[in-house]
Amino acid sequence: MTSKIQEYADIAEYAQQMQEPEWFTQLRVAARQKIPELVLPDFQKIKYRTWPINLKQELSVKHSQTADLNLETRQGNFVQVGPQLVQAKLPAEWAEKGVVVCDWPTALKEHPELVQKYFMTKATKPTENRLNAEHVANLTSGLLIYIPKNVILQAPLTTYFYQDAREKQDYVHHLLLIADENSEVSYLENTGTVGTSETTANIIEEVIACQNSKIKFASVDRLGQHTTTYLNRRGYLENDARVDWSMGMMNDGDIVGDFDSELVGTASHAEVKVVAISTGEQVQGIDTRVTNYGQHSLGNILQHGVILARSSLIFNGIGHIVHGAHGAEAQQESRVLMLSTKARGDANPILLIDDNDVIAGHAASVGRVDEQKMYYLMSRGIDKKTAERLVIRGFLGPVLSALPSKEVQQILADMIERKLVNGQNDE
Amino acid sequence: MATLEIRDLHVKAKEESREILKGVNLKMSTGEIHAIMGPNGTGKSTLSESIMGNPNYEILQGDILIDGQSIIDLPVDQRARAGLFLAMQYPAEIPGITNAEFIRAAINSRRPEDDQMPIPEFLQKLDQTLQTLDMTQEMADRYLNEGFSGGEKKRNEILQLMMIAPKFAILDEIDSGLDIDALKVVSRGVNEMRGPQFGSLIITHYQRLLNYIQPDVVHVMMGGKIVKSGGAELAVKLEDEGYAGLRDELGLDVKLVDEE
Repeated sequence: MTSKIQEYADIAEYAQQMQEPEWFTQLRVAARQKIPELVLPDFQKIKYRTWPINLKQELSVKHSQTADLNLETRQGNFVQVGPQLVQAKLPAEWAEKGVVVCDWPTALKEHPELVQKYFMTKATKPTENRLNAEHVANLTSGLLIYIPKNVILQAPLTTYFYQDAREKQDYVHHLLLIADENSEVSYLENTGTVGTSETTANIIEEVIACQNSKIKFASVDRLGQHTTTYLNRRGYLENDARVDWSMGMMNDGDIVGDFDSELVGTASHAEVKVVAISTGEQVQGIDTRVTNYGQHSLGNILQHGVILARSSLIFNGIGHIVHGAHGAEAQQESRVLMLSTKARGDANPILLIDDNDVIAGHAASVGRVDEQKMYYLMSRGIDKKTAERLVIRGFLGPVLSALPSKEVQQILADMIERKLVNGQNDE
Repeated sequence: MATLEIRDLHVKAKEESREILKGVNLKMSTGEIHAIMGPNGTGKSTLSESIMGNPNYEILQGDILIDGQSIIDLPVDQRARAGLFLAMQYPAEIPGITNAEFIRAAINSRRPEDDQMPIPEFLQKLDQTLQTLDMTQEMADRYLNEGFSGGEKKRNEILQLMMIAPKFAILDEIDSGLDIDALKVVSRGVNEMRGPQFGSLIITHYQRLLNYIQPDVVHVMMGGKIVKSGGAELAVKLEDEGYAGLRDELGLDVKLVDEE
C-alpha cells in the first residue's frame, strides 16, 4: 500500500510532514484515485459547472500568519484561520465531562476511533461526487467536536472559521460534529474570509445525531466576494434524534450549498431554516433536502431569501420519503423576494414520495417588493432604502422568529441588516 | 404659518387614460381645517393620493406647492418630510417591524442623524398619545397594522399622525368603517392637533364626522373639480339636500356614480 501513497508525491510529503496516521493518508489516496471517474453533483437549476469550483492545487502544509489579524470573534470558543487554531477555549467543566474539540491533525492522532467510525461513513461518502473526493484528498483544516453520551451542554459552543485568502490557495475544511446518545448541544458557527484573492473553498460539515440526541446547529456564513465555494452540510439522525439547522447565507461570492438531513432513525426530526441574501453579481444556489428513511420521521424546510442588484438566488427544496418510512412527514416552504429587475431568483419544490402512509407538502413563491407597502412606509418620511430593508425584514421575519435561539436571531438580524446596507450601496 | 396650495391639478390613474381630476384648485394654511365632500367616484381619494405622491397616479397638468415650493417632482418620502401626512383608507400591513419601532423611525427620519429623538422622550409621548386614542401598549408592540381590525387601523393612522405632527394631514375617509365610539376617539385625536402649526384636509362622504371636527372651510367636489366652497354650514346643507340637489342648483352636467 505504501507504494501507492508514493505515487502521489504531494500527499506523501504532506503526510510525512504532518506525521499523519497512515490509515487516513490511505483514505486521501483512495479518494484522489477516484477523482477522474467521478462527476460533479447535480443540483436542479443551479448552474455552477463553469465556476472555478474544483480544487486545483496540490496538497501542502499551510501556515497562516495570524498575528496581524484583527478578527471579529466575540466570545468564540474556537477560532481557526486557515488550518491554524488561534483560539481554543474549552471550558474545564466540559473537558471534565469528556467533551472533545480539536483540530484535524490532533483528531487523527488522538481520536482515531471517532474519525474512523464517523468521518464520511454515514452522513456522506468520499466517493459520492467529485467534489467530495477532492475534499478528502486535500483536506487540511477543520475541527472534530464530540459530545459524549448523556452530556448536556447548557451554554452554546461557538466557532469561527476563517478562510485565508490573503494568498491564492484552496481552502479545504471539514467539521465532524458528533452528539452521542442522549446528549444535547447548541452549536454556533461563523465562517468568513480574510484577504481578497480569487480562491476556491470546499467545505464539508457532518453533523451526527446519535440516538435521542438534540443538536441546534446555527451558522452565519460570510465567505468573501472572491471565494467560490462548495458547502456541503449533512445531518445524520438516528432514532429520536433532533437537529435544528439555522443557516444564514450572507456570503458575498458564488456558492453552492448542499444542506441535507438523512432521517435514518425512527421518529428522528430535522428542522431546516435558511435565510439568504444575494447581492452584487453573485450567485447563491441552495439545495436543501430532507430524506425520510425512518418511520414517523419528520423533516421541515423553511427558507426565505432576498435578491438585490444583478445577483441570483436559487432555492431547491427536496422532500424525499423512501419506501417503508410509514408515518413520515416532509414539509417545505421556499420563498424568494427580488428587489431589482435584474435580479434572478428561483424557488423550486421537489417532492419524491415512495411510500403511501405519509404526509408531505410544499409552498414556493418568487415575488417582488409590494409597491403598496413601500408607498405606505415612505409616506411617513422613511427613505426608499430603509423602507426596502423594513419590507425585507418582514419577509424574513417568519424564518427568523422560528429560530430556536434568541441570540442567533439577533446575530442573524444584525448580519442581514449589514449585508443589505452594503448590497444597497452596491446597486 | 405654512401653506399648501393645489393649482389647476389634472390627474389620471397610471393604468387608465381617463382624466380623474380635471383642474382642482385649493389653498389652505396651517391653523385651518378644510373638509372635502363629494359623491363616490368624484376623485376625492385621487386628490389625496396625488398630493402624497402615490406612484399609481400621474399628474398631467398643474402643481402642488408647500410654502410656495413645488413638490410634484419629489418622491413620497421627501414630500412627507416636507410636512405632509396622509391617513390612508387602506393602510398596508407590514410584518417584522413593530408599530413603535416604525413610528420612531418615521420621527427620526425628520431629524438630523446627531439629534435623534431620545428613547425616554419617545416612550413618554407614545404613552400619552396611546391614552388619548384609547389604545393599549400592546398595539404599539404589535407588527405594523398586521391583523388590525379596520377600526384599529384607523386609530393607528391617527396615532402616527399625532406622533409625527406634520404641517398638513390629509385624512382620507378616516370615518369609513368606524363605529360612533371610535369616531369620537379619532376626532378627539385630530382636535388635539388643532393649532397654528397644523392644518388638515378631511375627505369624507358624510357630514357626521364634521360634527366632531368642526371645519373652517368645506369644499364640494364633483366630476373631478371643486364646485363649491363655503363654511361649515355647507356640509349641513348637503346632508339635507344631497349631492344631486347641489348639482342641479349649480346646473352641472355631472353624472353621479350611484345614481340610478
